[in-house]
Amino acid sequence: MRCRLLQSTTVAGILFLISILLYGFAVAFNPGDTDLNCAECHSCETPTAQDRCLKSCPSFSMTHVTADHNLSEAPGTIFLDYIADEYQAVRFDHKIHADMAEMGLKCATCHHYSPPGRIPACRECHGGEANPNSLRQPALKGAYHRQCISCHREWSHDTKCVICHLPANGSLSTDSYDSTDILGISHPIITEPVKKVYHISCDEGNVVTFYHKQHVELYGLKCANCHQDENCSYCHDLAKSSPEGSPSVIAKSPEEIHATCNNCHDNDNCDKCHDSRERPPFSHSMTGWELNQFHENLDCRACHPTGKKISRLDNSCSSCHAGWDQSNFEHSVTGLRLDEIHIEADCIDCHMELHYEKTPTCDNCHDDDINHKETPPGTFLMKAKSH
Amino acid sequence: MGIKRRDFLKLAGVASTSLLPDLAAAEACAPDFDHSFGVLVDTTVCIGCRKCEWACDQQNNLSELKKHDFEDKTILKSHRRPSKDAFTVVNSFTDGAASDKISYMKVQCMHCNDPACVSACIVGALQKCPHGVVTYDAWKCIGCRYCMVACPFQVPAYEYDNALDPQVKKCTFCMERIHDGQPPACVEICPAEALTFGKRRQLIDLAHHKIKKNPERYYDHVYGEYEVGGTSWMYLASTEFVNTELPQLPADSMPDNTEKIQHGIFKSFIPPLALYGLLGLIMHSLRNDKNQQESE
Amino acid sequence: MSVHEMPSPVRTRFFSTGTKILFAIMAVGLLTYVYRLIVGLGAVTNLDDQYPWGIWIAIDVATGVALAAGGFTTAALADIFHRDKYHAIVRPALLTALLGYTFVVIGLLADLGRYYNVWHPVLPSMWQGNSVLFEVGLCVMVYLTVLYIEFLPIVVERFKGRVAFPGMLSVLNKIIESFLIIADRTLRRVTSLFIIAGVVLSCLHQSSLGTLMVIAPTKMHPLWYSPISPLMFLLSAVAVGFPMVIFESILSSRSFKLKPETRLLSSIARYTPVLLGVYLFIKLGDLTLRDAWPYLTEFSFQSIMFMIEIGVGVIVPMIMLAGSKYRKSVGGLFTAASMVIFGVLLNRINVFLVAYQPLYSEKTYFPSVYEILLTAGLIAALILVYRAMVIVFPVISMPVEKPEVDNGEPQLKVNYQE
Repeated sequence: MRCRLLQSTTVAGILFLISILLYGFAVAFNPGDTDLNCAECHSCETPTAQDRCLKSCPSFSMTHVTADHNLSEAPGTIFLDYIADEYQAVRFDHKIHADMAEMGLKCATCHHYSPPGRIPACRECHGGEANPNSLRQPALKGAYHRQCISCHREWSHDTKCVICHLPANGSLSTDSYDSTDILGISHPIITEPVKKVYHISCDEGNVVTFYHKQHVELYGLKCANCHQDENCSYCHDLAKSSPEGSPSVIAKSPEEIHATCNNCHDNDNCDKCHDSRERPPFSHSMTGWELNQFHENLDCRACHPTGKKISRLDNSCSSCHAGWDQSNFEHSVTGLRLDEIHIEADCIDCHMELHYEKTPTCDNCHDDDINHKETPPGTFLMKAKSH
Repeated sequence: MGIKRRDFLKLAGVASTSLLPDLAAAEACAPDFDHSFGVLVDTTVCIGCRKCEWACDQQNNLSELKKHDFEDKTILKSHRRPSKDAFTVVNSFTDGAASDKISYMKVQCMHCNDPACVSACIVGALQKCPHGVVTYDAWKCIGCRYCMVACPFQVPAYEYDNALDPQVKKCTFCMERIHDGQPPACVEICPAEALTFGKRRQLIDLAHHKIKKNPERYYDHVYGEYEVGGTSWMYLASTEFVNTELPQLPADSMPDNTEKIQHGIFKSFIPPLALYGLLGLIMHSLRNDKNQQESE
Repeated sequence: MSVHEMPSPVRTRFFSTGTKILFAIMAVGLLTYVYRLIVGLGAVTNLDDQYPWGIWIAIDVATGVALAAGGFTTAALADIFHRDKYHAIVRPALLTALLGYTFVVIGLLADLGRYYNVWHPVLPSMWQGNSVLFEVGLCVMVYLTVLYIEFLPIVVERFKGRVAFPGMLSVLNKIIESFLIIADRTLRRVTSLFIIAGVVLSCLHQSSLGTLMVIAPTKMHPLWYSPISPLMFLLSAVAVGFPMVIFESILSSRSFKLKPETRLLSSIARYTPVLLGVYLFIKLGDLTLRDAWPYLTEFSFQSIMFMIEIGVGVIVPMIMLAGSKYRKSVGGLFTAASMVIFGVLLNRINVFLVAYQPLYSEKTYFPSVYEILLTAGLIAALILVYRAMVIVFPVISMPVEKPEVDNGEPQLKVNYQE
């Protein structure tokens, strides 16, 4: 009897200890330390991988949940007919808007909540009437109008109802409305320039050559990294451009241009960009280290650490390839397949102090008169680059 | 006889209680501005469509204007003021900085927490109700227009052209609608929901939440949270409120000073009675002096 | 004892060239009044939503009340402080106050949009203790009643022992006569109570008129916006009381071809520099405490008006009356008194109109022709009624010779024709 009591007390004690430990872990690694609140998205206490119990409508504060969606998933034309008694149903060409949004924040341009999978429609969260318990969330009317008008009026400077709502019985005159709406005019592909050459008058140099394509492809910049706050109305502001809606050419001031470049080039001198003549595009040989066949197709960031500015690296092989030795390095890629004897040798036996760029030596094992060209330690496959 | 006498006393009692201002009711009106109704105007959302003006016009039968008369957007630039024919107007403003970004601001009675007009009104025709509305009772009004002098927002308008039954005109907060559980007409129609109707405390929380979430969109100030002791209608804007049409006002409620002076002079009628007594004393003592001098 | 100073009806013809002109002005004013009642304020005045108050409030009401202050200051001096020699001017001052307040009410009725509701503040169900205007309104109502009660003895004195209705109505003579005797007796007993009440009530509403604009601090020019504005209103009202008495005494003596009471008036004028000095001290001290001096040197319309108000209305008459040179001459007295009155008039206009800067006004207020005509009409009417009253009632003190026709009665018998 007493023994059983002791047993159960011990078990209870251990369980107690475990629970304390677990609690400690829970506190230490509490996701609450971040700004995330589970209940924002999950309806149950303990979501699992199988049952995520995700809410269909996260709270208003839960905006900008964005996942990548394919344009082909987007619905086509949508008819909004909630107030069909007053107006004809609003014809909303979702596809075209999605197409346009590709140039911006994609789905998140309008869908502030676009989780993986199906994106909920506005009406699924925004009710027909204002919810007195949740003033932060606009009702459907406000949600629609804010999305549509706030964008449309930026370029059209017009808030006429008839832009979207055609009158049900013709009581409103639509004659006065000249449709300059972008609807139906799919945006032409914006061609990306390879390079731009600016001829300016400047003491530091009259020519600036800007390799646009290279900045995107080589340095992995996104459009928005430089073209900040450039939404549709940036080019299509009817107050600034022609009434047909053809884009206006925006001339940026030198300050604006410098500010954009200085986001990355803030430590560079003027002559980084300014010159008296057009410059060739960047090639790695300019840095004094021409890339060999193995390196030339690599992404910059494969060698230059991500998240930092690109700077000069130590170009000894081991600074990157520290883990290579005779057991895992396939020597034949250098153009020399080692024979059975030499493949057993250590790298350092031939490559003095592991300086691979220098001529290998045979002295460590052979007589002085032997060199690797005349009596190679294997078979040369082809003419390989030196690096 | 006794019964009659008692009846009479009862009647007198009823008469006096019904005639005297209902102090109990006044106590019930004790300010609870967290739960009084209000509207938050987010001028960064307002698109200047003037639908609120039209809804107000319809709700209060103000003018002969038709719906399409409110489509004219050029008038937004003209800095109109609320008038007897329009309890609310929308005006445009720029943020005063280099950018010429145009925003819109709806103007109407602010329904102050401690309204100067209510304090000024000689007959209590203007009242601050517990649910936040400042009401006007034309039947009581004598037409002195002191409320218009007192209003720090210069809102009340007057029917100067009405010779017999002129009234003070201002936003009613759609009292009847609120009683029926509906938001004011302007709030209901606002397509962009730039107007949010709710309990004042919730609205202040909402306003601060919006500012916190979008600090680059809003100037960090909720106009009406503290101005003149707080107002029921409050505003958010993208710029300092100096650039808008709203006046720069202190946090003290406007009637503070006058009510202090007023109640100081009439504190339980002691100062006037004391003056009366003092003058009586002087009159009496000097007369005695004189009589003595004469008799001597 | 053949010559004795005592109040008696002035023996003169009512009509003169002056009265005819005044009648014309009054008639125009009356027409304007009727026109205003028919068409409303909008068509008659230049008031709008930005400027809800005009000269009918600033002059007819605010200045009217201030200039009627002679009534209570003289009563306080003569009856409460027992400076008995001034009794001669108590009655004219009382009549001025009585008529002044009566016309304030008439002027106010023109300005009120819903004049038929003017009695509402009397109803306890509409009492509004926070309202300064309520206090002013109620005080003025009560004070006006007190003034009429104070004036009753003069009416009684005029008719006692002389009630002689002709024909059928003669049966009433005895009844009315006995009623007058009782009234006379009662009034004699309680009159001092009403005199004190009048002074207290005056102090209350004269100051409260100054509180009116304190409710709009953000709309008032800093030169005039002051939390102690009520004190300044009271002090200026007290200061203008005697100059007003001097002004009208000299005017009426000229009009009725009586010898001006120069000695008495210059004696009472001694108080004025002191009262003006106190007012000036408070006013300038207030400017200093509120750091409002810089506004004086901005030379705007407001600052110039302020300088005129203080310079012409306070400082110059104060200096003039401090020395005996001007105080002893009728011309000097009249000039100085006029300047004080002008100063108070300008102060009330400044506080209610010039200092008031509505937030969104596109034009400044200037009175319309109708507003000016009505105000002029009211002033003309006041003067005419005053003239009639002093002809009918024993108000103005004058040397009375032993009556020749009457049988030794000390009282004058005036043939009163109607």
